[in-house]
Amino acid sequence: MRHGLILWREDELSTADVKARQARLQAAIAAAGLDGVLIYTNHVRSAGVTWVSGFTPYWSDGLVLVLREGLPIFLTALSKRVGEWVKSVAPTFEVAHSPFPGKLAGERLAKIGAKRLGVVELDRMPGGVVDEIVSILPVELSDATELFTSVRGQADRAELSLVRMTDDIAREAFRAGDVKSKFAGDFTGPVERAVRLAGAEECYMAVAPDLSKDRRFVRTGKAELGRTFAVRLSMAYNGAWVRRIETFSAVSEIGARLSSVSAALDRASPAQPANGSISAFYLPDGAKLIDWHLEAPHGTRPLKVVADAETSLAMPVPYGILTTAFVLDGETIVASRPVGLADKILREAAE
Amino acid sequence: MIGEIRKKRLIEAMVDAGLDGLVLYGNAWQNDYLRYAADFGILEGEGLAVVTRDGDVTLYLDDELEGERASVECPEVKTVVASNLIETVSGVIGRLGNSRIAAGPKRHLPYGLAARRGDLRFEDATALVDRLLMVKTADELAAIQGAARLADEGYAIFRNAAAVGKKDYELIAEIESFFRNEGVDDNFMIIGVGGPEVRGMAPPLGKVLKPGDLVTTELTPCVNGYYVQICRTLVIGEPNEAQRKVFGIYNDALEAGLAVVRPGVTAADIARAENDIFRAHGLGEYVTSEYTRVRGHGLGLFPDTKPHILEDVNTVIEEGMSLIVHPNTYNPEIGYFVHGDSLIVRADGPEILTKTPRKLFAVDAKRVAA
Repeated sequence: MRHGLILWREDELSTADVKARQARLQAAIAAAGLDGVLIYTNHVRSAGVTWVSGFTPYWSDGLVLVLREGLPIFLTALSKRVGEWVKSVAPTFEVAHSPFPGKLAGERLAKIGAKRLGVVELDRMPGGVVDEIVSILPVELSDATELFTSVRGQADRAELSLVRMTDDIAREAFRAGDVKSKFAGDFTGPVERAVRLAGAEECYMAVAPDLSKDRRFVRTGKAELGRTFAVRLSMAYNGAWVRRIETFSAVSEIGARLSSVSAALDRASPAQPANGSISAFYLPDGAKLIDWHLEAPHGTRPLKVVADAETSLAMPVPYGILTTAFVLDGETIVASRPVGLADKILREAAE
Repeated sequence: MIGEIRKKRLIEAMVDAGLDGLVLYGNAWQNDYLRYAADFGILEGEGLAVVTRDGDVTLYLDDELEGERASVECPEVKTVVASNLIETVSGVIGRLGNSRIAAGPKRHLPYGLAARRGDLRFEDATALVDRLLMVKTADELAAIQGAARLADEGYAIFRNAAAVGKKDYELIAEIESFFRNEGVDDNFMIIGVGGPEVRGMAPPLGKVLKPGDLVTTELTPCVNGYYVQICRTLVIGEPNEAQRKVFGIYNDALEAGLAVVRPGVTAADIARAENDIFRAHGLGEYVTSEYTRVRGHGLGLFPDTKPHILEDVNTVIEEGMSLIVHPNTYNPEIGYFVHGDSLIVRADGPEILTKTPRKLFAVDAKRVAA
């Protein structure tokens, strides 16, 4: 569940920012000849609704119905008491309650005589919700994932600014970790504390405890740390998700080299394009690339792998998180950084 | 080990029900069905476990990072990463032909799976799996007992971190840091800060603790997949007379609910015992759904599992269930108040798991955040 700070912050993501997103989606809905689009949300599949409303549920689930015009409607089985909290943290949609949110969606669609409804990730929609909708209205359902992704792929300044802010929190939080820690949890506990003290909404930590043996990440805090280890911090701040991986060593000579590589990545990454081409990304001189992948917000997923060595990027993304694994001076290094954070206008000019 | 025990029970239940296969869905919110079969604590994306009656379990995940983690954390389970999860699993199910296959949980099963199954249809596995989730084995109960220790220690951290001037999310940061150090996988936690204006709990809103505030929390650490909950309320400064009086009512309600717990009673009996205390004090309105959700619930691989403790739920309580009894609700004089303890249902009554004293904790108002 989400149990970090969830708050409407007009100075970081304004009502106007969100309304502009809603207007772009509504224009696409009309252009596609649909009566509306339905987006599912829970705290795992939160990204679609967060983008269109600024809201993330901490628990349970819900639907956002975006019609061609008017305020989107958040349909939820959550109680009216929780509904008051929802309104306080997201003043960007109407909140409607029912033990059967799908039925409520059907009723709203029936009111406007809807015939064609797009559903983001139709295949993944909980079957019970679809049953509820069609029990009220024989509406034609179609998959609206591509439509949504094409609109969502356009970055806006508010989002890029939040991603930069989130990455700043992540970078600073790593300073709280002690590279001499014996166990993974000894390192990750203080980092998570720092992330949450900075007002993060969510934080997941994982560790590859000994890079000389294995590059795979695990969540157990009880793993003993090796000579070099990597820590993956996945965090959300005000709805913006960032993943940041840093490699550490308790051996001071190696540690100094790793710090220097990390700083170089920080300087180079934000301005690099999130276009799925590895050739554009920074690698230290002498490094031998082992593996890479690019993640980005996609549909209802906050971050999803959208390109790697075998798969090219299918659609534009608002920003990306590039993860690389490489060998430098005999040491395996894993790193993740946000990319594609250059100002939108500058990006458009460059393209 | 515990995963193997669960798998054996699951297969036996399938065979008893005459099923050839089971398809179980999960995500980080609703993970109990998936975890029961595959013993994986999914965090990102979604997963499906396909179980056949000959004991084969395959875990299908749509997230590469989670697939990588599963290969380390549950190597005994065959894991497949499939970016098109629905198509891949539908193909697997299709190859099973027209055998009897059940799926669950029914409400959350992805639409695309059922649509591709077409006229063959899935049978509903919800009741079969819910029963396994509710009535636990000795090993599962031992895991729950282990988690209870961390619920108590977590509340002590929470209590010691509370101070005038501290923000609600800063309190949660202390808890989470402690839990990560202790290897706790997850924690369900909501909080309330203030007085009569507070009508429930939610994630933190950035409220600053001040003298006189009630600070409520539900703390629910998850250890090896099993959740245990504790609910307590503390006061910043010395509790006033109204706060003391109300605490007495909630404590009586909790004790009344616990006194009823034993095999053979119903969930409704427990709820009624709690609610009768409120009604005796003229507070019957505040035990309705307008002000409170449930009077307790099951605990296990999900922090809010069946049975829900409500006056209209007639599920029979059985030995081997784990529950929390919590008469949490709004009080018009002092605001939202919580008080609850986790337990295991034993043959002769409840074994109370959480050991934190049942008292209205007070934090010295001179304790100020650094």
